Amino acid sequence: MTEELLRINGLSTRFFTEQGQVNAVDNFDLRIDRGDVFGIVGESGSGKSVTARSIVDLIESPGEITDGEIWYNEPDLADAVREDRPEAVDGTFVDLRRISPERRRSLRGTSFSMIFQDPESSFNPSLTVGEQIAEAVEVQRRASANPRSTRARTRSEEYSLGSFVLSSFLPSKRYVTEASRERAIELLELVGIPDPVERADEHPHEYSGGMLQRAMIAQALAGEPDVLVADEPTTALDVTIQAQVLDLLDELQSETGMTILLITHNLGVIARMCDRVGVMYAGEIVERGTLEDVFDDHVHPYTEGLLGSIPDIEGEAGRLQPIDGNVPSLLDHEMGDRCHFADRCPNAMEDCLEHPPEYDAEGSNDHAVRCVLAAQEYDERRAIPDGYFDETRPAGDKHVDPEDADEGPTVDEPQRPLEEPGGESP
Amino acid sequence: MSAETPPTSQPLVSVDGLEKYFWENDSVLDRLFGDEPVAVRAVDGLTFDIHEGETLGLVGESGCGKSTAGETLLRLQEPTDGRVEFDGDNVYDLEGSDLTEFRRDAQVVFQDPFSSLDPRMTIGDIVQQPLDIHDVGPTDERRQRVRDLFERVGLSVDQLDRYPHEFSGGQRQRIGIARALALEPEFLVLDEPTSALDVSVQAQVLNLLADLQDEFDLTYLLISHNLSVIRHICDRVAVMYLGEIVEIGPVEDIFEAPKHPYTEALLASVPRASTDERERDRQTLAGDVPSPRNPPSGCRFRTRCPMVIPPDDLEIDQEDYRAIMNLRERIERRDISLETVGGDEEFEFTDGSIPPADVDAFVDALRERVLDRELPARHAELVDGALAELASTDWDAAGTQLREVYASVCERDRPDLGEDGHPVACHLYADNECETLENVR
Ligand code: SF4
Ligand code: SF4
Repeated sequence: MTEELLRINGLSTRFFTEQGQVNAVDNFDLRIDRGDVFGIVGESGSGKSVTARSIVDLIESPGEITDGEIWYNEPDLADAVREDRPEAVDGTFVDLRRISPERRRSLRGTSFSMIFQDPESSFNPSLTVGEQIAEAVEVQRRASANPRSTRARTRSEEYSLGSFVLSSFLPSKRYVTEASRERAIELLELVGIPDPVERADEHPHEYSGGMLQRAMIAQALAGEPDVLVADEPTTALDVTIQAQVLDLLDELQSETGMTILLITHNLGVIARMCDRVGVMYAGEIVERGTLEDVFDDHVHPYTEGLLGSIPDIEGEAGRLQPIDGNVPSLLDHEMGDRCHFADRCPNAMEDCLEHPPEYDAEGSNDHAVRCVLAAQEYDERRAIPDGYFDETRPAGDKHVDPEDADEGPTVDEPQRPLEEPGGESP
Repeated sequence: MSAETPPTSQPLVSVDGLEKYFWENDSVLDRLFGDEPVAVRAVDGLTFDIHEGETLGLVGESGCGKSTAGETLLRLQEPTDGRVEFDGDNVYDLEGSDLTEFRRDAQVVFQDPFSSLDPRMTIGDIVQQPLDIHDVGPTDERRQRVRDLFERVGLSVDQLDRYPHEFSGGQRQRIGIARALALEPEFLVLDEPTSALDVSVQAQVLNLLADLQDEFDLTYLLISHNLSVIRHICDRVAVMYLGEIVEIGPVEDIFEAPKHPYTEALLASVPRASTDERERDRQTLAGDVPSPRNPPSGCRFRTRCPMVIPPDDLEIDQEDYRAIMNLRERIERRDISLETVGGDEEFEFTDGSIPPADVDAFVDALRERVLDRELPARHAELVDGALAELASTDWDAAGTQLREVYASVCERDRPDLGEDGHPVACHLYADNECETLENVR
């Protein structure tokens, strides 16, 4: 029944900074089925947001996707591409990394859409919300005016960016037809904006945070995308509003059958929304599987630590079991070829000094773990002595020199605003 | 964390009717143009006690006033009204050495401990600064105290000469805690102390705070939006909504047997990190928090409350009632664009009215727009009557018609927070309800 929609192999995204090469995403593999809600959970510096942006091709300098394949299952696109670039096609799959940039861009909004933590960035403050959503609708209309097979050839950059970003790209309202405007109002209604007719004529600043988040979702849905990438979509919201937005995403998903890739630091949000989940640490997925595999039958000590760190809202106030130490450095020259979690892992053994491959684990077929414990028992005699890693990493968990304090992102957080660390809920 | 010890007779901190308003349109220019100053009622009449050695949690969503409450009770801001006693003395009357002593005994830890500090200071200086300001002991004693504090909060003394930005979030928060402890305070206000931290690091800091409380007999006021954190470390909890406390009680009671409809909704909203989460029966609260510039009359939660109380003599399903109350609210705010009702220019307003022949069709189209449920005949008729007034743009008449039938005790009377062990400000729990109802108008 299930059909693979995305197949990502060996994806690597690097940032080239003054401090050195940052391996934000490192040799990353992922498979997502059509109609799934796949969650990626991780803490700051895990690379989860960079992964999302890499998939939708939103990496900007000094970042760069340096390697990997992103196979997208779309027969019509495969047909359209096959002639020019046979190497980019495998059956009904197309490698998005090997098609032309124009074609890639034309998939934005119609095949892939993205929503962010901060909806302000998706709207132009000087246009009404209705106009901007209508604009995104125009994109879709133009695209589907052509048969789907050729829609990838649509060349208009400004349109294809429509549902995406950056107000400055948005053309003025001269393109908006009455039909698009009506569709925009329908979309606002679909995402649960009360009084959509009135609200369509308002500007973004007149919306509350939760309402603007809904409007951004409406904008992202205008092109009826196959995949919605949601990067911390509820992190900036209060918990009662978060619940509303999660309900909304859930409903939209079951109505439209779209695939959602949900990026979050919040394990509760994962449990609420996802069928499958991948736990990211230091640029790679260290454990993945169904919700049950990861929450109930996890093998990786990091997964264990993450779950043990959350204060339980329903249970007794026992002592929390935190993970020692700090988030890892992603600097290439500091990472080494060991298990990246070894310096914080209570079970680290000599065997962990070599970077572990991904092992199959018990549970569902999808359950896989990048940890030697999936293949062997913990053996105390092989344990790495205390203090072993102290020399290899500065104890001060030093990121930058005082002199560059004001010069933007620190080394292991190349995309700081995207990776807002957070508590258990926003 | 010390729930077993019964509260001592005299609370350490006693807050009575605390108010903090901010004023908008209050500049000389505004007065020149005759704009009335507008009060933003950030904190509007808080009363609670904090006993020695306990942790009281102040929980609520953004804008509920919890941080302003914390700052005002520490006298980092002047109150608009009300009284705060610390160890029996009114904090706002303190002067001279008494005030200095209060400033030593009561400390605060913010979400970002360095936002107000000079980034060019080393972390050693940052922790030592309070000792310097208060002129505590000779220099070498201060140095030693700083080293002890560093060790106590889990920092290495080798790092004394480093700068704040060299540290991760968790370490920065440890530095903030060390600074707050420098003067051996009795009382700490912890304002979202772990909200910027990753969960694995948050757990380290929460454990540290628990250990320090035991070791130094500290009393905490923990301000947080994170209900899991509140549950984990508080002995008692006060839930705030729009500047008021709606419920206060022992942590177990609040989480296991919440009374106020807002507390219930808040708890239900938190997604649990467990595989049962998808099956959990959860009710989502609709709507947004109203503005504190113009808070709703009566109970401030009434615009979103799923339990809002219909008049005694009215027979109506709770959800129908909620829907009608939402409609009333929109009519009273005049927030329906009448011109766009129906299809393309279907109804034409001349001098604010549409032709009488079109009124029925107009009401149908409008109802379709503003109500998403089918009402029982009796209520449908009443609502249609009000909507018909809008055909001649008579907002007042429409509002009055609905108010006469549907006005709730929840909008007329502000519910008091009672006095028992687990007080709640909601008419559903008022024992003197009949009396209240009779007093209405
Ligand atoms: S591979 Fe070794 S160090 Fe890494 S998580 Fe597994 S047990 Fe720990
Ligand atoms: S007083 Fe009325 S509106 Fe307020 S919480 Fe109670 S039932 Fe709801």
